[in-house]
Amino acid sequence: MFKQRVLVLLSLFFITTALANEPYVDKPLLDRISEKYKIYAKKRFFYLQQTLDSVKDKSDLEKLEAVNNFFNDVRYSSDKKIYNKSDYWATPWEFLGKDRGDCEDYAISKYFALKYLGVEPKKLFFTYARSTKFKAAHMVLTYFETPKSEPLILDNTNRKIFPASQRKDLTPIYNFNGDLLNQIGKEKKSHKKWDQLKLNMQRKKI
Amino acid sequence: MTLFKQIALMLSIFLLVILATVLTLNFQSANKSVQEGLYEDAKNTATSLSLSLGSANGDISMMSTMINANFDSGHYINITLVDVDNITLYTRENESEITDIPKWFLNFVNIEAPTALANVSAGWSQVGILSVQSDTAYSYQQLYSIFKNLLISFAVIATIGLIILNLLLHTILRPLKEVQKQAAAVIRNEFIIQENIPYTKEFKDVVLGMNNMVSKVKAMFDKGNRELKAHKELEYIDQDTQLRNRKYLIDKLPSYLKVDASSEGGVNIIIALSGMIEANEKIGRQNVNRLFIGIANIFKSSAKDIKDNIIARMNGTEFSLLLPDCSGKDALELAKNIQTSCTEIIKSAGLDENEAFVSIGLYKYSYLDTISQLLSHSDNALAQAKFSNENIHIEKAEDAVEVMGKEAWKSIINRAIEKNKFHFLSWSVIDTKAKKLAHHVLSINLTLDENTSYSYAQFMAPAIQSGLSHDIYQNVVNILFKIPNMILRASTYSLRLPHEYLIAPDSYNDMSELLRIHAATLPFKLIIEMPDKLVRQDFIQIKQYIELFRKHDIDIGIFEFIGDSEDYQYLQDLRPVYIKGEGSYFLTQNDQSLSALRLITDSVDISLIAVGVMEMETLEALEEKGIHIVQGRITEMLEV
Repeated sequence: MFKQRVLVLLSLFFITTALANEPYVDKPLLDRISEKYKIYAKKRFFYLQQTLDSVKDKSDLEKLEAVNNFFNDVRYSSDKKIYNKSDYWATPWEFLGKDRGDCEDYAISKYFALKYLGVEPKKLFFTYARSTKFKAAHMVLTYFETPKSEPLILDNTNRKIFPASQRKDLTPIYNFNGDLLNQIGKEKKSHKKWDQLKLNMQRKKI
Repeated sequence: MTLFKQIALMLSIFLLVILATVLTLNFQSANKSVQEGLYEDAKNTATSLSLSLGSANGDISMMSTMINANFDSGHYINITLVDVDNITLYTRENESEITDIPKWFLNFVNIEAPTALANVSAGWSQVGILSVQSDTAYSYQQLYSIFKNLLISFAVIATIGLIILNLLLHTILRPLKEVQKQAAAVIRNEFIIQENIPYTKEFKDVVLGMNNMVSKVKAMFDKGNRELKAHKELEYIDQDTQLRNRKYLIDKLPSYLKVDASSEGGVNIIIALSGMIEANEKIGRQNVNRLFIGIANIFKSSAKDIKDNIIARMNGTEFSLLLPDCSGKDALELAKNIQTSCTEIIKSAGLDENEAFVSIGLYKYSYLDTISQLLSHSDNALAQAKFSNENIHIEKAEDAVEVMGKEAWKSIINRAIEKNKFHFLSWSVIDTKAKKLAHHVLSINLTLDENTSYSYAQFMAPAIQSGLSHDIYQNVVNILFKIPNMILRASTYSLRLPHEYLIAPDSYNDMSELLRIHAATLPFKLIIEMPDKLVRQDFIQIKQYIELFRKHDIDIGIFEFIGDSEDYQYLQDLRPVYIKGEGSYFLTQNDQSLSALRLITDSVDISLIAVGVMEMETLEALEEKGIHIVQGRITEMLEV
């Protein structure tokens, strides 16, 4: 009986270890990215994995810092230039593979990286905001420690994370939570762009 | 079930299944689309309302007003706003019931309205989550309307489809109908050649095959017809004078010497030419032949006014003139005229009237005479004539002792007709080859009471003489159709209808009415027999009867057949089930004639039946000639 318990515990330990070591980007996908975007892209994903691994056991705030800093190094470029489309929500693999993107792409990549690091999805919101500085529509990722707390803004135009009250250059318009939209069900359409992104993620679009 | 019906049924089911499938798929698609529409509406409302609620800066009364405005203006079952702690801030619910949709439809169609969710925030702060669920009532109405329209479309398309299918099948299978008609005609022994050859290969092959077969059978019939006509000329016609011959007279006499003969008797004149051997030497054979032709013409012109006469050359120098219904006095007058005319023509031929002359013997015969009696009495009269001074002698049959006078018979027969005193008897007709009963022949007797009964042979002759034959048969036919129970059920019976009955003006209408009412309930198969002579001579009138009988599934037979027709096409047109001839007729036919007759009858499936067969020797002789179906006293000795 004791032996059986030990065996079950050992099995659980190995499974947990194996899952914990699962990379953000699996090998076959990484090979495809490497093939398509060449060696530098592969290196970027390698550094991403290094960054994520470095804060794996840290606090949410440190994870937010690391992820925000890493992705804010990617160059900004409009969807028109990259994808020849007026608006396109890129998967994290497209974003980092091409090493460029617009505000939604930053928010998306940060969201999935934080989710990978174990940050609760219900704390992360995609917020449509108006940038008074650029006088343009903008999107940022917001982090709510609790539903009633002041959110932290993960923005690509301002490289540092600030509480919302310090971002006078942004006027929030509307936000949505990916986790809430996912609750509606796989078959149902919840949000056109979000649904398309989820589909692209499933297809591992690079 | 016909091929048309089978294909039509199969294609109709196929069409209906396809339409039903399309209807179902359409409806399912509409259902899905309506449900998606419900969610889309809810989702759009949730997003737009959550944006509006954001501007209320958390003011519940403002947000309630906004929710109310949206809820009241749209079709929603529920809109609820909960705060970040999942506590309901405001909710609206529609509790109205769906009333204008049938209950069965609500049970049949299940519409689920999914709930759409949206985050509500005020500035950077979260207010809560808004859930919106659309009302299904409107969707049910939409779906019910779609369902009704689909059903109407389905019905219209199905109707149009089935009509087009029917028309197409009719067009495609029209050649098959023609083939079917042709096949049915072949079964009825009709020779129909299909002129319109179908385009479809299979049908074309069938039609060409049938045409070929029909052509062959028709050719067979025509060949038989030609051969029989040729043999008839050799068999029954004297080649020098073109008069009938002795064989013809012998074959024909049975129809004159029978109890139900249309004539009770008449005179048979035998004319012999003497001195013809000397005449041959004197004026030559050719001139003598011309003399014979001249004399034959005298006979023809002399007897032309006497109905049903037979003028036959009995041998090289003897002729016979059978004159039915001719009195002795008239016959004697006629004989004298013939003698005078013949004397003149003999003289004009350059012959001496004392060396070449005619002797005429007259015999006043009765229908009760046998053939041999008639011929021997006639020969006797001729012998007497040869020895008399005038060379004419008349001999009368010994008058039968009449038990009853004509008036007494008339009275009895009239009473019998009035009180339905005629009863049916039946005789067997046996197929000796198949050793089975072919059918029963119906005869009648007259039974006044338990002790007084008269056979057909007894009462029929006086009936004919009194002109009551038609009335008797009218009565008999009535009894046959109206009270058929006296006859055994589930068998085949034949009834002879005589000339007198068939040609009477009211007979056809009477028969037609009787058949209309009773034919369907007749408990046995009926064959109506008609005399060969009438069938040939009054074919148009007979055709009416034939159509009537065919309509009521009554077969036709022919009796008193001796094959003396000019053309046997009438057999093909009439298509009787059998031909009845005297046994002696079949026995005296040579093999070629009988084979030609067989060719005709086999090609149209007609049986040959010999009647009046009395002796086993006769039966054996008939069987040797290939006649196996017999009627007559012999059938009492045969076992089946």
